[in-house]
Amino acid sequence: MRINVIKAYFKKEVIDLIRNKMIILTYLIPLMILILFGFGIKMEVTHVRTIIIDNDHSKLSLEIINKFSHTKYFDVKVENLTYKEALHKIQTNKADMIIIIPPSFSKNLYKGAQIGVFIDGSFPLRAVTLQGYVEKVLINGFNIKLPIKIENRNFFNESMRDYNAIVPGLFGLIFLVVPASLAAIMIVKEKEVGTIFNFYSAPITKIEFIISKLIPPFLFHSVNIFILLILALYLFDVPFRGNFFIFWIASEIYILISVGIGLLVSIITSTQIAALVLSVVITIIPGFLYSGILMPISSMGKESLIEAHIFPVMYYNHLVYDSFLVGEGFKSGGNILYFFILCAYAVILITLGTLFLKKAIK
Amino acid sequence: MSSKFQALDSKNILLEVKNVSVSYGKKIAIKNASFSLKEKEILGFIGADGAGKSSTLHAIAGVVSFDGEIIYKNYVYYSPKEAEKIKNEISLMPQGLGLVLYDFLTIKEHFDFFRDLRGLKKAMEYETKLLKMAGLYEFQDRLAVNLSGGMRQKLSLILSLLPRPKLLILDEPTTGVDPISRAELWDIVNEMRNNGMSAIISTAYMSEASKMDRILLFDEGEIIAKGTSEELIADIKDYTYEGEMESKECFSFNKRTYCLNSLSLKKTTPTLEGVFFVNALKKSKKPIIFEIPKKNLQMPEIIVKANCLTKKFGKFIADNCINLEFKKGEILGLLGANGAGKTTLIKMLLGLYPIDKGELYLLNKRIKSYEDRIELKSKIGYVSQKFSLYKDLTIKENLDYFAKMHGLSVNETNKKIKDYSEMLGFSEYLNAFPKEVPLGINQRFSVAAALMHEPVVLFLDEPTSGVDTVARSAFWRLLRKLKENLGISILITTHYMSEAEYCDRVVVLKRGIKIVDDEVEKLHKKYPGLDFEEIFLEIYKEKNEN
Ligand SMILES: Nc1ncnc2c1ncn2[C@@H]1O[C@H](COP(=O)(O)OP(=O)(O)OP(=O)(O)O)[C@@H](O)[C@H]1O
Ligand SMILES: [Mg+2]
Repeated sequence: MRINVIKAYFKKEVIDLIRNKMIILTYLIPLMILILFGFGIKMEVTHVRTIIIDNDHSKLSLEIINKFSHTKYFDVKVENLTYKEALHKIQTNKADMIIIIPPSFSKNLYKGAQIGVFIDGSFPLRAVTLQGYVEKVLINGFNIKLPIKIENRNFFNESMRDYNAIVPGLFGLIFLVVPASLAAIMIVKEKEVGTIFNFYSAPITKIEFIISKLIPPFLFHSVNIFILLILALYLFDVPFRGNFFIFWIASEIYILISVGIGLLVSIITSTQIAALVLSVVITIIPGFLYSGILMPISSMGKESLIEAHIFPVMYYNHLVYDSFLVGEGFKSGGNILYFFILCAYAVILITLGTLFLKKAIK
Repeated sequence: MSSKFQALDSKNILLEVKNVSVSYGKKIAIKNASFSLKEKEILGFIGADGAGKSSTLHAIAGVVSFDGEIIYKNYVYYSPKEAEKIKNEISLMPQGLGLVLYDFLTIKEHFDFFRDLRGLKKAMEYETKLLKMAGLYEFQDRLAVNLSGGMRQKLSLILSLLPRPKLLILDEPTTGVDPISRAELWDIVNEMRNNGMSAIISTAYMSEASKMDRILLFDEGEIIAKGTSEELIADIKDYTYEGEMESKECFSFNKRTYCLNSLSLKKTTPTLEGVFFVNALKKSKKPIIFEIPKKNLQMPEIIVKANCLTKKFGKFIADNCINLEFKKGEILGLLGANGAGKTTLIKMLLGLYPIDKGELYLLNKRIKSYEDRIELKSKIGYVSQKFSLYKDLTIKENLDYFAKMHGLSVNETNKKIKDYSEMLGFSEYLNAFPKEVPLGINQRFSVAAALMHEPVVLFLDEPTSGVDTVARSAFWRLLRKLKENLGISILITTHYMSEAEYCDRVVVLKRGIKIVDDEVEKLHKKYPGLDFEEIFLEIYKEKNEN
């Protein structure tokens, strides 16, 4: 490895990014995603696993059960459980919501009888949305008041603030999509314009070239870690309970994974526009789906659960959520494992890139 | 000009190419090329577009996979990977206008980059010499994107000389380079050869090729002839006649006619260019006959009138108070060294650059605002220095696109595409992508694109640069026909001084100032016995002393 080669490319790349104004996008896009999505995510919730405990067995209670059963929003099961057992179901993620109809409910309705509703609160946004649905069904349909209690399975978000769930999830999205597309564009540009010949014809090794081309997007986005962290903490008031170093290093490795994806994309594309489209498409979908923003990993079906484990997003997000909201850090074996899985991803992607990159016209 | 490089004084073989073939998918670019290169030898590659010159050069430089073997000194290699070992002794300049340049780096930053890339020490004296040779010394802080086409080419060239290679590989290095710089480049290459360098150079300028030690002639993926320029020329002397004529059986170009059948014309000494024509004839290729129906387009006597047009970039004056009159049915050649301001002037006339000072009349209409131009857009056709084609569209789709831009109906468009592709001889390539076809075809279909909307005037910026000889001769016949049958006026820039003979009048620019504006015939009278290249050099020298 020769420093002069890396220096040559680094200098050139920085000058180029600044003069062609790409640097603005490098910092503007992550910022925009964080702000727009942080403030603006809304979700529809369907197929909520709902257990209804009917202690009343009246005409009214049957009507209520019917009403819930006949929408796509709820998958209703009627079961005979105690309050404690029901709560346990939420805590072990066997159910998302419990509705308890007390004995003699219909008789006491005029005296102000109440229905108990318990909702899994680990994903606050979803919980709040759910609460809205339930209220709509009960109050509009039956004019029933109800005390709803949101049960926090993991006791993450006791303050029930949405930002706490969404903002950390966006880190995994941003640092997957943006560095990958930047890296892919920067490499493919050389192919498109023809300057790739400088690499082909000079005595430079593939590894030197890859390192030279990946360092600039990597470093530029490393700065974004801090920018986004500051925004999360001060604009969105998300708490930070974990270890900063774990968060930082995990983020750097994750960015490395992303530029590694960019490298692979640049190998199979030959125009900048194709590189951009492909890198965005292959990162944004898993970035969203498995970031845990839309739905908690734990409540996924078996197939999507396996898929989630294929993409690096889930592992990183787990570490990020832990750093922001829980703070277990490396005291948890799971976190250590995830950390090493991320390292393995980075190594594998960049090794693949080195293998597949051809130092010749194809 | 005609003097040879200093003769060889070494017999040692530096490079040996044995049965090298390169193919891209099914297409075979070069088949079984075998030749050798001695130390201090300069070998020239000539041949039509797509004949396999670049692929051979790429194989030697180790940037493309090939079959066969190549031996450099005592090192044998069979693949780009194995060629890595010798890359620090080789320098490659690929074909294309400044392809290896980074648009947003200055000239100076390019030197820094290439120096670091190759791990070289800064050699002030040598670098200064290169920059001065290329005429770029004063412009070191200019971004590559703001350099003229020829300046970009020269920058790429001197960058390839920076590592002082043992083997220099240049792929059409002088395309778009002006005659003065071309001469200087040869001086430098010659000097470096005397210091022990060898070179393989492909070129489209036959006057250059004739100065090389040995020449390989490429045709359709094979090397069909080897030898000195005298040897190659000797083979065709029976087919070379004086003067030009229009014929279905013979090619005419640059005051000579080439024919396999004997003609009643006087025989003359051939030039290297003739090799291409004779070769084409032997392959039973015939000159394309352009059949353009006569039409009478309505237009005023004066197409363009410019009073003291001026363009500045910051403090730099690219065009300084240029007066120009361009008449109906005229072919006007715009000549000048690289960076003289030709492209800038054309862009001002077209409204692609705002005019800093001066008055412009197009078709008798004073042009002041953008709106003034919109009306005239349909009257003007333009082919830019880089042929602005869309790489991702096929030739037909490109033409469709241009037609749509000008609001032609679908029927009209299809008819025009059919007509032009037949007239200009590229109908078999309609479904190919621009990069798959020879440059000469791209050039003709760019002209077709510019003709789609039936303009009365064409602006062509270096349409023949890098285009092979046979295609160039066809192109000039096409321009004549357009002029004669449609009455179109054509403004054209070129660095082939021999092509200036085909213009009615030439305007010569030097550093943004117009130094000559005269009819070609009159210039010949003024400088008797000189060919146009010599006249051009003479004019440039004279005006230097003033
Ligand atoms: N946008 C720009 N900014 C600064 N300088 C420019 C810009 N565009 C052109 N120039 C300079 O103006 C001069 C004239 O350029 P122009 O492209 O007109 O030359 P040309 O005569 O067409 O040369 P060539 O034969 O090489 O094509 C050059 O020195 C060029 O570097
Ligand atoms: Mg120009």
